[in-house]
Amino acid sequence: MEVVGLDFSYENGYKVFQNINLTIEPGKFVSIVGPSGVGKSTLLRLIGAFLTPEKGQILLHGKPVLRPTPLISMVHQSIVTFPWMTAKENVLLSLKTRSIEKERSEEVARRSLEMVGLQGFEDLYPKEMSGGMRQRVAIARSLAGEPNVMLMDEPFAHLDELTAGGLRQDIYSILFNGDATLENVIMVSHNLTEVVELSDAVFILNDNPATIVGRLDITMPRPRIHRDPEFDRYLDVLYNYLTKKKGATNV
Amino acid sequence: MYDHLFLITLAVLATTARVMGLIALSIISGWFLAYGAIKNRVFENIFLAIVEIFESVPVITFFPLVLIIFITDVGGSIGVELAADFLVFTAVVWNIWIGEYQAFKTIPREMIEVAENYNFGFFDRLSHMYIPFSIPRIAANLFPSVADGFFYITVSEVFTVGLTSYSVFGVGSVILYFISNGYYYEIPVTLLVLGVAILITVFSLRRLTDRAVAKYTVDTDMPIMRRGRPRLRQSATVSAVMSINPLVKLAKYNRARQGKTDLEELYSRSRKKNRAWIVVGIFALMIFIYLIYAAYSIISSVSYSQWQYLFSKTPGLLFGLLLDYIRVLTITVAALAFAMTFGYLLATRRKAESVGIPAIQFISSYPVPVYFPFIFIAIYPFTTSILGPHTEEGFVLALGFLSTFYYVFYGFWMGMKAMPVEYTEIMRNMDMGFFKKMRYVILPSTFPYLITGISSTMNSAWGGLEIAEYWPGISSGKTLQVHTGLMKSIDLATKSGNIMLAAWASFLFAIVVAIYSILFTRKMMELAKKKYVAEEGIYST
Repeated sequence: MEVVGLDFSYENGYKVFQNINLTIEPGKFVSIVGPSGVGKSTLLRLIGAFLTPEKGQILLHGKPVLRPTPLISMVHQSIVTFPWMTAKENVLLSLKTRSIEKERSEEVARRSLEMVGLQGFEDLYPKEMSGGMRQRVAIARSLAGEPNVMLMDEPFAHLDELTAGGLRQDIYSILFNGDATLENVIMVSHNLTEVVELSDAVFILNDNPATIVGRLDITMPRPRIHRDPEFDRYLDVLYNYLTKKKGATNV
Repeated sequence: MYDHLFLITLAVLATTARVMGLIALSIISGWFLAYGAIKNRVFENIFLAIVEIFESVPVITFFPLVLIIFITDVGGSIGVELAADFLVFTAVVWNIWIGEYQAFKTIPREMIEVAENYNFGFFDRLSHMYIPFSIPRIAANLFPSVADGFFYITVSEVFTVGLTSYSVFGVGSVILYFISNGYYYEIPVTLLVLGVAILITVFSLRRLTDRAVAKYTVDTDMPIMRRGRPRLRQSATVSAVMSINPLVKLAKYNRARQGKTDLEELYSRSRKKNRAWIVVGIFALMIFIYLIYAAYSIISSVSYSQWQYLFSKTPGLLFGLLLDYIRVLTITVAALAFAMTFGYLLATRRKAESVGIPAIQFISSYPVPVYFPFIFIAIYPFTTSILGPHTEEGFVLALGFLSTFYYVFYGFWMGMKAMPVEYTEIMRNMDMGFFKKMRYVILPSTFPYLITGISSTMNSAWGGLEIAEYWPGISSGKTLQVHTGLMKSIDLATKSGNIMLAAWASFLFAIVVAIYSILFTRKMMELAKKKYVAEEGIYST
């Protein structure tokens, strides 16, 4: 996946991004971090083609992405489920646009729910579930569509710390378990600890108009322990990036 | 001609003032009633029961009652004026009252605690908290009310009972004057001036509601109701209001503190409050006793042979009602189809929306009975060649549609606007087609709004049928009428002065409609509340 020379302005003329460039190698979980209000969620929506850039393009397998596609799937910050559908029906929704047999759809939905640890909860309605379970449903729905790229906009922001911690521990193995078709996950987060815990690479968004001011590759083995001094070192590097003044040298 | 132009302008002003004045009266009375309802459980139950029944009973059901009370009992020009005003009032009041009640009922607990904390009295609470909080709800209900008001004003300003015509000064009576005196050129001028007045009203209300909603909508962290890109100007207004709030609150707090900590004063205020409620209760009881007495005197005045006559007519009236229900259903299905296609188009295309919504607000506010004869004259020959013997039925359904389609349209459109933006993104993400979007996401999301819209459309369709099913002289020498229909029976009975039969038919009609409302609309609303609340699909802390 590539983002090439992206410029974007709001309708009122305010320039948000200038010359954004990202290259994401297959099999990588990458994160985008930046100060509050810099446009992280907007960048994610540009990558998903929910917004149209002023200049530049998004490339998936070398082809431009011109409109939203199930190949690039979004998991929202506010956990989104459909209250009139059970967990299984919520997941089946992403298969409705594909012409596959009912039995096969049911099997994919069941497997996706199993992948996120919700076997046995297929017939529950979202209202009967906790926040963590609902987010798992949203992830299962996204996975069932067999996307190549998953966009995650602060996926743990609305969960309590314990639930978020549990889901973070599971998420990497859920997403890159070999059964899923995922090649990349792009996550936006303001929580540097979860970014270091999950990411293979981190892109730092800063300045005004915002641009990518640096990339940090995290090579720590998984599972990553928070008490590890190396973990702290990565946190320090990220913190320095985010507090660095405009014009400072990129790494 | 200049004299006539002056007359037209005055008539249009009188009609517009009547509509807007009655809407203002509905809003003001609604604040007090809604406050009473949230403060007193017994009053709340009575208020809700009355509003629910009357909201589901179409305006025309009140017509015989109006004739008996205002024309016969009050009489004179005041009686006719009150009759016209009462009919319009019953058309506009219910959804405004229920909107205000819902707003008062859902005011955040934290706000109430602030008011309690500062020891606000009745008027302080109402003016600083409850009324501002109800403004967005009122704004949402304003356009259908204005449309209904203009619709009913034109038919209420002039009406005939037996050989006597009653009229009040306004557009309806002036048009009648021009027709009967052969001033045919003045009629299009009247319609034009009325159009300008409605246009000004609609655009003024749009500005007013935009500003009111921007100022009074309570900002929450929930990302619902926010669609598309951020509206910076609106956010700035909200922020400005929010930012001055602490100072305003502090100033009021200081004012409220001065000499108001005495417990005895608090108790005495509470006793005064109770006395006020006793006065209100006695007043309400007196009205109730009067209504019981009026009902008793009407029923007891009907002789045995008259009852026999009414019962003999009942099977025919019920058959007419059945046919009318089929007409109402046809109109509702057509309105729903229009809403789902055109409403979807407007809700998803901002440029089309900026033109389409004001256009629909204008069209729906322009009273159908005023312009429908022109459509009738223009397309009658063409329609006859297509529909043949069913031409008149087609026109009746068309008038019914034009007089009521906007309820379900607004409902659907508002439901789509209130749909969480995340749902839109997911539909785009999954590359869903129109029908899949409708089936799996949009119709369930908009279901609560649709049920309200469908219910109002069905109730209002009766008004359209009442006019269309028997319209003598719609064009020179022609009468638009259906073969059989309850509304036609009521029309004929009223026009021939058989008020007893009209009242009986209206009574039967009211019972059936109320039962339908309880069995169908309420069940659907319960289902909507239980299962189809899109906001519950968004989980955020």
